[in-house]
Amino acid sequence: MIEIKNLVKRYGSLVALDHLNLHIKEGEIFGLLGPNGSGKTTAINCMLALLKYDRGSIRIMGEEMQPDSYRIKQEIGVVMQDVAVFDELSVHDNIDCFCSLYVKDKKRRKELVEDAIRFVGLEDYRRVYPKKLSGGLLRRLNIACGIAHRPRLIFLDEPTVAVDPQSRNQILEGICELNRQGSTIIYTSHYMEEVEQICTRIAIMDHGRCIATGTKEELKKMIKTGETIVIEGVALEEEELRQIQQLPHVFGVGYEEQTLTVRCSGAKHNLIQILGWLREREIPFGQVFSQLPTLNDVFLEITGKQLRD
Amino acid sequence: MTVFKIYMKIAKKNIWLVLLYLAIFFTLTLLFQAVAGNSADQGYEPESISIGVVDQDQGKLSACLIQTLRQTNQVSILENDREALQESMFYNEVSYIVHIPEGFMERCIVGNDSLEVTTMPGTYAGAYLDQQLDSFVNFARVRAAAGFTEEETAQSMLEQEMPSVTLLDLRGNGGRMSAVSFYYRYLPYLALSLMCYILGYILIGFRKGNITRRMRASALPARRQAAEGLLASGILAFALWVFCTAAAFLLYGKEMIKGGFSGYLLLNSTALVLVSVTIAYLIGTLIRNSEALSGIVNVVSLCMCFLCGVFVDMDHLNSGVRKAAQFFPVYWYERVNDLIAEYGASAAYVRTEIFQGIGIQLVFAAVFICVTMAVSREQAQ
Repeated sequence: MIEIKNLVKRYGSLVALDHLNLHIKEGEIFGLLGPNGSGKTTAINCMLALLKYDRGSIRIMGEEMQPDSYRIKQEIGVVMQDVAVFDELSVHDNIDCFCSLYVKDKKRRKELVEDAIRFVGLEDYRRVYPKKLSGGLLRRLNIACGIAHRPRLIFLDEPTVAVDPQSRNQILEGICELNRQGSTIIYTSHYMEEVEQICTRIAIMDHGRCIATGTKEELKKMIKTGETIVIEGVALEEEELRQIQQLPHVFGVGYEEQTLTVRCSGAKHNLIQILGWLREREIPFGQVFSQLPTLNDVFLEITGKQLRD
Repeated sequence: MTVFKIYMKIAKKNIWLVLLYLAIFFTLTLLFQAVAGNSADQGYEPESISIGVVDQDQGKLSACLIQTLRQTNQVSILENDREALQESMFYNEVSYIVHIPEGFMERCIVGNDSLEVTTMPGTYAGAYLDQQLDSFVNFARVRAAAGFTEEETAQSMLEQEMPSVTLLDLRGNGGRMSAVSFYYRYLPYLALSLMCYILGYILIGFRKGNITRRMRASALPARRQAAEGLLASGILAFALWVFCTAAAFLLYGKEMIKGGFSGYLLLNSTALVLVSVTIAYLIGTLIRNSEALSGIVNVVSLCMCFLCGVFVDMDHLNSGVRKAAQFFPVYWYERVNDLIAEYGASAAYVRTEIFQGIGIQLVFAAVFICVTMAVSREQAQ
């Protein structure tokens, strides 16, 4: 569906996209994950031909994407990071207005607008103006405006920023539904939980480069961490921490405010081994957690920093 | 026609503002026209002053002086009572008192005594009557010097004809500024305020949040979007022009049709509306939030109107201000309007100056378009 090769975009001396390569297949929910300023929005702007780039190529649906590629644009829907609706138009008129940029036939458009209103659950707000809508409802309107014409390819640029958890879940469910209906989705976010929840494949971006691509399972396999064990309320000496570090499959130990964090490689029985070691030395402890690696762990290990840095 | 429809819908939302500006415009125009129109009428009316005369001479020459003064003033004969004279002046019964002394001929005409007068210093009436008395005394002295007796001098003064003045109405407007010219003088305020506010509001709406990105990413070609926007702006501007022109014909139809200058007024107002649209586009491109728009529009429209002779007659502005005003299109609009007002039916004689003024306004419009395009291009990248 989308083929990006060696894309370079500079703003003066700042390199926003540094030889970015991406391949997005039809029917995917493809997540672009990265901290603020990593180049996600710039990449989307280049894909939509809103920005001129310095080098590389972008092909969408087999054709080179240009500012006047209106045949391709006809198949694309865009949901922007900031809400992009007219305050002077009602919910219905806003959706109808943006849909009319793609669909000329009035009868067909009427059906599509009604479908979009139902899809985002704004049936009771048809005649309401955006200023009267809550943040969550406004985001849903923003999505409806972008998808009403039933595009084959949808760009969702951080659509859940500043949205309450209930609305966020509805939005995420809606995105999955759109995908089930046949749309390919490019989803950007710096909320790793969302990306992990809905995306079939993920690209992790940092400093304008794609540093890892794959399914979430594939990404997690790329890193050494297989399991992170956290034990609270445990009093340990320096020597004891050193001994834990020496245990098989353990490659990282952290200790802060009587909380021990042990990072183990993918082997089984890590938890039993560590608890057995504590029991042998009759060291008391409180709550114990075992966590599988998250995308944040992946990002941390690949880039050496937290995702939200 | 999506973009066109959005323009119209947003414009419709501001209908109350449009009505408010129209109400302000018509109130201002009619008010100023009434005040200025009346003062123009009075400027050409003969003035007569109430004066009092204390005649202690009772001679032929003093009677001649009283008769001369009566030709242009309202004369009351007063007793030589100091208190009564003071009261007459205090209650404005008279503005000027002439004391004719006993032996007027000998003392003031043959001799060098001055006529005693009582007046309020620095008044227009005082200066005017001083001149009249000086003139009478000088003429009488010439005759006395030629050997005329008092009776002969008086007789000669009475036979002297008053010079007659004939005013020629070359411009066909009776020396007054035509009412329709007042109407068109205030038009820049309405055109600038309304066009800047409405188009500014619409353009800000289109650039709010990520609407620009969404529009540019859509399947509707950018040129088509721009063309639809321009068409909508053109129709809004045309609607304003039609409304103002229709109102002008409704209020001053006879003057417009018979005046023979309405074509120039219509051309000049068309250029003005065109310039207003380009200024509105520039403001709408530069300003990002609608809260600031109202303030900016007021500053731009009021500044231009005050500097360029809309609210204050250009003759009352000093040369520095007038030179600075030449850098604003409204100055050239007002200049053309003043020429049309001044020459009225004979406006064709200054056709070149009129077209020059209209041409300069169009150049301003072209400059504003270029600046707007440059700013838009910069913002897009």
